[in-house]
Amino acid sequence: MRKPVDDRLTALRGSAKRLDYSARSLAALENNPRCTLRALLDASGSDKVAIATHAGHPPSFGQSSFAITRGNAFEAMVKDNGCAELLRVLRETLELTLPEVGYEDLNDAGGDGRSKERHERTEEVLLRAARGEGDGTLFDHPMLRLQIGGHKAYLEPDLVAFRIDGRFHVVEIKSFPIIDEQAAPSQVRAATTQACAYIIALRDLLGRAGIGEETVSDTIVLVAPKDFTNRPTGAFVDARKQVAALTRQLSRIERIGDLVDLLPEDLTFDLAPDAEDRPRRPAEELTEALDQVLATYRPDCLTHCEMAFYCRSRARAEASLDVLGPAVREQFGGIDTTTMVMGLARGELAPSEDQVEMAAALRHAARLRAELEDLGGAA
Amino acid sequence: MSTLSALAYVQAMESMQAVPLTEFRHRRLSARPLVIIPLAMAGEAGAPLAAMVGSAKRNGTLLVVAQPRNRDQRFAFAADLGQVVMDYIDSFRQDRRGEGERSRYTDAPQILVPNPGGIKALADLGRMCRFRSTSGPYAVPDAVPKFGMWLTFLVERAEQAGTSMLLPVTGMLAEHWATGQSTIEDQNLASLMAWIAPPPGLNVEQAMAEAENPDVCPPAGPSTSPEFDNRDLAPAIRRFDAARTLDDPHALAATERELRELIAGQIQPTWRMVWEAISLLRSVPEAPRTAKRFERDCKAFTDYSDYRDSGGLPQRKRDAAIGAARRLGWLEHALAEFESDMAFDDRSVLADRRSAGEAFAGMVVEAEPSRTVTTAKDRRVPRPLVTVRTDDPVRLAADTRLISPSMPAGHKAMIVSVVRDGDTTRVTVEVTGGMGRGRIPKQGTVPEPGQRVAYLPDPGWRPAPQFPASDATPWTHSAADEGDTDSAVLDDAAAEEWGNED
Repeated sequence: MRKPVDDRLTALRGSAKRLDYSARSLAALENNPRCTLRALLDASGSDKVAIATHAGHPPSFGQSSFAITRGNAFEAMVKDNGCAELLRVLRETLELTLPEVGYEDLNDAGGDGRSKERHERTEEVLLRAARGEGDGTLFDHPMLRLQIGGHKAYLEPDLVAFRIDGRFHVVEIKSFPIIDEQAAPSQVRAATTQACAYIIALRDLLGRAGIGEETVSDTIVLVAPKDFTNRPTGAFVDARKQVAALTRQLSRIERIGDLVDLLPEDLTFDLAPDAEDRPRRPAEELTEALDQVLATYRPDCLTHCEMAFYCRSRARAEASLDVLGPAVREQFGGIDTTTMVMGLARGELAPSEDQVEMAAALRHAARLRAELEDLGGAA
Repeated sequence: MSTLSALAYVQAMESMQAVPLTEFRHRRLSARPLVIIPLAMAGEAGAPLAAMVGSAKRNGTLLVVAQPRNRDQRFAFAADLGQVVMDYIDSFRQDRRGEGERSRYTDAPQILVPNPGGIKALADLGRMCRFRSTSGPYAVPDAVPKFGMWLTFLVERAEQAGTSMLLPVTGMLAEHWATGQSTIEDQNLASLMAWIAPPPGLNVEQAMAEAENPDVCPPAGPSTSPEFDNRDLAPAIRRFDAARTLDDPHALAATERELRELIAGQIQPTWRMVWEAISLLRSVPEAPRTAKRFERDCKAFTDYSDYRDSGGLPQRKRDAAIGAARRLGWLEHALAEFESDMAFDDRSVLADRRSAGEAFAGMVVEAEPSRTVTTAKDRRVPRPLVTVRTDDPVRLAADTRLISPSMPAGHKAMIVSVVRDGDTTRVTVEVTGGMGRGRIPKQGTVPEPGQRVAYLPDPGWRPAPQFPASDATPWTHSAADEGDTDSAVLDDAAAEEWGNED
């Protein structure tokens, strides 16, 4: 008889404190949904930074204090004086007719800053608004909660606005610029994915009280600096596709048991830290454990996943074509390693039935290369 | 990507060294390029932090904005950099040949940045500067708007395939060499150089590791490394701000010097590496057709230069429908021509197209050199048929127009049929041009049996697409509030928010 899934996830994490999902880690789900290693580390609440560092591949994306300062200053400015600037954007730029405004600060619950208490207060206030009681229309930093794989994750959107079209809208305040009505697509996408987690959590909150999901719009309001100024402008971003994608990913987490079942019974990513939090587990033992889990490395993982350097070194060691990225990889459908590609190109390996066509193209390419070398060209 | 170039990447990864993809360098490299390495402040839109600029390795000028959030300092920086760039550009506006319409400058500027991010940084800087007013409440120095317009021109020109007035060095290197890493890593100049020319005493693997260590190889910009920001830069800027608040000239000078030294430490390794990359690129022979494309650069440079001299308006913020469609047409055409030029000049590129089935080469197995047809105008013209047997996986269809790098200039043909024959393919083409004016083709203009020939599709001449006049654009393609006026300067442009304190 196997242990229940939760116990196995706890065993994977070992003695470390559980790290809950955040809007950021949820957004990462969408980036590389097929990666088993990432799914297991997140579901078990393991500390990816600590694990990657101990495995000898520390992540490198720190955040510049300039970016953080700028982000905070901009958000504060937008929300100053009861969200005066935000209202200007909603009314002037997005041309919304907003009735009277009621600002509710949900940053703490009567001086209590704990997540659970704040969530209870958020729930009470938002439900009242949804039922048409109370006069709140802008909710600053509500504390939402989402049940993911049996664990609570607390999520904190910048702002939720009500009564735009009679529905709740998630407002994301970001400090990247919208220049001439265009922003960097990758940044918009990241912001949208993050907002999707809030939409799902908000729908969940209202759904528990029997309020339908159409009360929460799947269009988000993005507020960001206009051009090179400090003044905000806004845009609507349609998040329908990403909400659907994230919903699908969340339902996959519920089936994490299927992945766990494939793992050896005694597998763990425990670092066995000493009293001062220094890992005592030998690094080789940890990498051996990590190596037993399937990882789907892609070069763009380098921009968002803490484990990416470890996965890249593993892909290199396996001579995996994943190292070269999708453009090259696509040329060799069904072949995984450079060894195999070169073997087929040189005619040293016999192709399997579904590799016949690929092998012919490879041998042709190899002949072309040889031809060029004979002609004294590039080689 | 073709199987052939994909194979080159695999080969590079297996052998742990870069593999050349082309025989030639298809980008012109000026004898006197201007290198600009822009650095920007993280998290802030268009907040330049510094730039190193110069047209020789030994005389780079470092420009620094001590407090990037201060907009006065920002535009003072833009004016300084603008002056250097405008002096450089003006030095190409000396020698002009030809009369009237055909008159143009004989040389054109070339600005090189380390990576595609560098182009984005210059685009932002251009957008930030080109609408500024040199009079009124937020006046900027004269050089600023002019610099902004020139930068915008260069950035827009850079989008066109085959041009050489503004290029990222990583792009030039990656066009010529395949590495055993991904496109993302290839955009890191140090990582790319690690494959092509690792520093003395290091193998590729060690050089790659160093390239990703910001303490050894600071990023080539525009962003600086977060560790550097938090550990060194932020405290230094705070000390500068404090000195400014105290109005202490000694402290101010000292803190400014400290900032310059810090930033110099970050930017100089990239400066040296860019010049190293340039000399590497110089060692690759330039493709013949590069000269023809450079002619067009000179023309574009002359045209824009004359437009500026006539007091032309800054480029608009967004293209209107017709402008956008026209521009897209140009870009597509330029790309097709560039690809064809490269294949024509370069056997490696031709092989690449052959591997993808977009070109073919082989032996002539049959020829009917004396075949003629009667045209609609009742003229008899030579139309020889030639059949080529090739091993290439030809994916071209009948009626495709062809050109040939292995035949005399002007040779044109059209595919009649493509027939698979076991492992090989027989392609029959009709020769349609380049045979002289007579009824009998000139000697050597029709491929003969036993001869090896190569063909690729003719990008051809395309008529300029016709668009409605701008006041007759259908409502589906015109924005109501813009009315498609010719005025590129919007009313609120000069009044764009200003403010020194965030």
